[in-house]
Amino acid sequence: MKKMNRILLIAVMAVCGLFFSLAQVNAESTLDIAKKRGFLNCIIGNSFVGFYTVDESGKWSGMDIDICRSVAAAVFGDKDKVKFKSVQWAQSFTSIKSGAGDMLSKGMTWTLSRDTSQGLDFLDTYFYDGQGFMVQKDLGIKSALELKGATVCVLTGTSSELNLTDFNRTNKLNIKPVVFDDASVRNAAFFNKNCDAITNDRSGLAAARSSAAKPSDYVVLPETISKEALSFAVRQNDSAWANVVKWTFAALLEAEELGITSQNIDNVRKNTKNPVIKRFLGLEGNLHKGLGLNADWAYQVIKQVGNYAQVYERNLGPNTPLALDRKGSLNELWTRGGLLYSKSFR
Amino acid sequence: MDSQATPKTELLNFIPSPSRPPVVITHGFTGWLKKHLFGGFWNTLLTIAVFTLLYLLLKPFLEWSLVKAVWTASSRRECLSISPDGACWAAVIRWSNNLIYGRYPDPLQWRINLGIGIGIIWLLPLALKKIKHKIVIGLMAVVFYPFLASYLFLGGDRGRLHYVIASVALAYLFMLYMNIILIYLGKKQTGQYFESLIERFVPRRADLLGHLTFLLILSVLIAFIFRDFSLQDVSTDVWGGLFLTIIISGFSIVMALPIGILLALGRRSQMPVVRWFSIATIELVRSVPMITVLFMSVTMMPLFFPNTMDLNKLAQVIIAVCIFAGAYMAETVRGGLQAIPKGQFDAAKSIGLGYWYTMAFIILPQALRAMIPNIVTSFISLFKDTTLVSIIGLFDLMLMARNISIDKNWFGLHTEPLVAISVLFFIFCYTMSQYSQRLERHLTKGR
Repeated sequence: MKKMNRILLIAVMAVCGLFFSLAQVNAESTLDIAKKRGFLNCIIGNSFVGFYTVDESGKWSGMDIDICRSVAAAVFGDKDKVKFKSVQWAQSFTSIKSGAGDMLSKGMTWTLSRDTSQGLDFLDTYFYDGQGFMVQKDLGIKSALELKGATVCVLTGTSSELNLTDFNRTNKLNIKPVVFDDASVRNAAFFNKNCDAITNDRSGLAAARSSAAKPSDYVVLPETISKEALSFAVRQNDSAWANVVKWTFAALLEAEELGITSQNIDNVRKNTKNPVIKRFLGLEGNLHKGLGLNADWAYQVIKQVGNYAQVYERNLGPNTPLALDRKGSLNELWTRGGLLYSKSFR
Repeated sequence: MDSQATPKTELLNFIPSPSRPPVVITHGFTGWLKKHLFGGFWNTLLTIAVFTLLYLLLKPFLEWSLVKAVWTASSRRECLSISPDGACWAAVIRWSNNLIYGRYPDPLQWRINLGIGIGIIWLLPLALKKIKHKIVIGLMAVVFYPFLASYLFLGGDRGRLHYVIASVALAYLFMLYMNIILIYLGKKQTGQYFESLIERFVPRRADLLGHLTFLLILSVLIAFIFRDFSLQDVSTDVWGGLFLTIIISGFSIVMALPIGILLALGRRSQMPVVRWFSIATIELVRSVPMITVLFMSVTMMPLFFPNTMDLNKLAQVIIAVCIFAGAYMAETVRGGLQAIPKGQFDAAKSIGLGYWYTMAFIILPQALRAMIPNIVTSFISLFKDTTLVSIIGLFDLMLMARNISIDKNWFGLHTEPLVAISVLFFIFCYTMSQYSQRLERHLTKGR
């Protein structure tokens, strides 16, 4: 009987192993799989203002959405050939590993542990953020170090919560965190003075502030207590696909640097004598061959989605709830003192 | 009284009987008021206290939701500038299309309306008195309607089998209504015109075969008429809003009962394998929260399949919800089975009925009837539980409503949408509970 059991156990394990190995066999690059499928699967979250939200007409819009659309434009020449799969936080990693998603762009912070132990390869950062605090103005607080004994509203399960704990410990502030799992509920609690301050990424704070009945009642404190590099990622060890995604984003930056926008691109393409631009738009040379894309891939990306400045303006700029000023921030091009730097298209 | 009449010699004096006390009005509105609200000192005091409390509670709500509310605006800022402490219903109105149809493309939304409309039309005859075989109509709806509806909702090329079944469904609906009209006109039903013809070849069940023949002819006709009919493909990830909520809950409500009955019977079965399987399923599913079951189905399942296979998230979720609901339903049904006296089983056995006949005709009708309130309670709670799918990123009514608060124009507005969908949920759940009470009264009539 015991022997029977052992055989049964081994058989069950073998079957499980078979399933897992089936799931792991991925000789084919995601690029080929996506081309065969005819559209891109992009992993996003439920909603994150400025980065991915459903608007009144039922369409997705936001920074991450545009990143995914630009990859679709590069691969298929059509920015709409992308399916957005909104998943819960815990599913983000498995959906990339299982192949349910081709790329992940959901405002996820690039950290060492995520890069090394979740089967992901982070490729580039499209938005540099950092955690800050916002307080009621009438408290008269000028610095986060004055938050002694304050109650701080924070979203649970996020890195904000962990950073707050770290900040609290290093500065011995005796902060009392109040946790929420929904940003609008947390904001409402803050506006009703149920907590003295809220903490979040600075972009999130800007969004929260703009949702207040009287935004001028609240101030964002100057301290930035963490590094949040919002980055996109693909499955580990798939260089061909990683190249495509990485260089598509680089094209957004390069276009801004070269002064090419979705409006003037046709004009530029017709009249330019500049060899750099000619190479970039695929009129000369064969940069596209190494990527396995069409010669006009960069043209399609800029024509359909726009350059980085346009994407930023559309989703995070002054006419949006976030109204984030790009000038002087880390999200400027390197030529204007920011961190965004496209490698050479050569 | 003396038997002999006394001679009437003198005039009788008229003596009025004492007048009765004035009638206390116990009917009509004032009567009702007097009897129930102001009957006595303490009663009056209590009434006043309760009404004051209601006034204090309701006044701010009514003021917020109606008096100071804003109905037309194009952004939250505009709302706030018109009336800073009133509700901003403009957002809900602007978003109403999304709330109902989700992200389903606007020009194709007629397909949803048509599909849901067909469902209602199909079930309407169940309320008519002259119609017989209502169980058949209901069963046909359960089996065939999903194919027709999904054909409409999904569009695209769904394969030949799906097309054929959808045609049969449509044909059945036509036949049903033809028959209803004929019945009310007092004429023979459609199938009966074939009976004499069929009786020549097959002596038995000519009535049933007649109906089937007519259904077959109609199906072929419909399949032929619509052969070039094609609909644009709409993928399930743009389904959302109330539509998605109804799809998920409708599907699982319909599937919960059969799954539940099978599991309940399995649990009481004499066969050990069946019994242990049923017990394991019921106890395993019931001992974890629904959100866990949902998470398992969407995060774990893809790991077990090769990654070229594109699993449909909606299908995964529906299967998970069905199993979950089925396990709970099983225990409800078992409660009903437990209540049936043993004599019923013995009696069924003594007249020679087998297991399935005993269950189908003796035990289950009684058990289910006794359990109607519990069954409907689980349906209602299931309907509300489907909002959990918003957590795993399906844009049901709940997630759509929450999405309003992060829309560019309505940023931060989260109370009004939640109030609005609460009202919607109340309407649905209250209708269900009222229907169950009607059903109960109807079924217990004459007992």
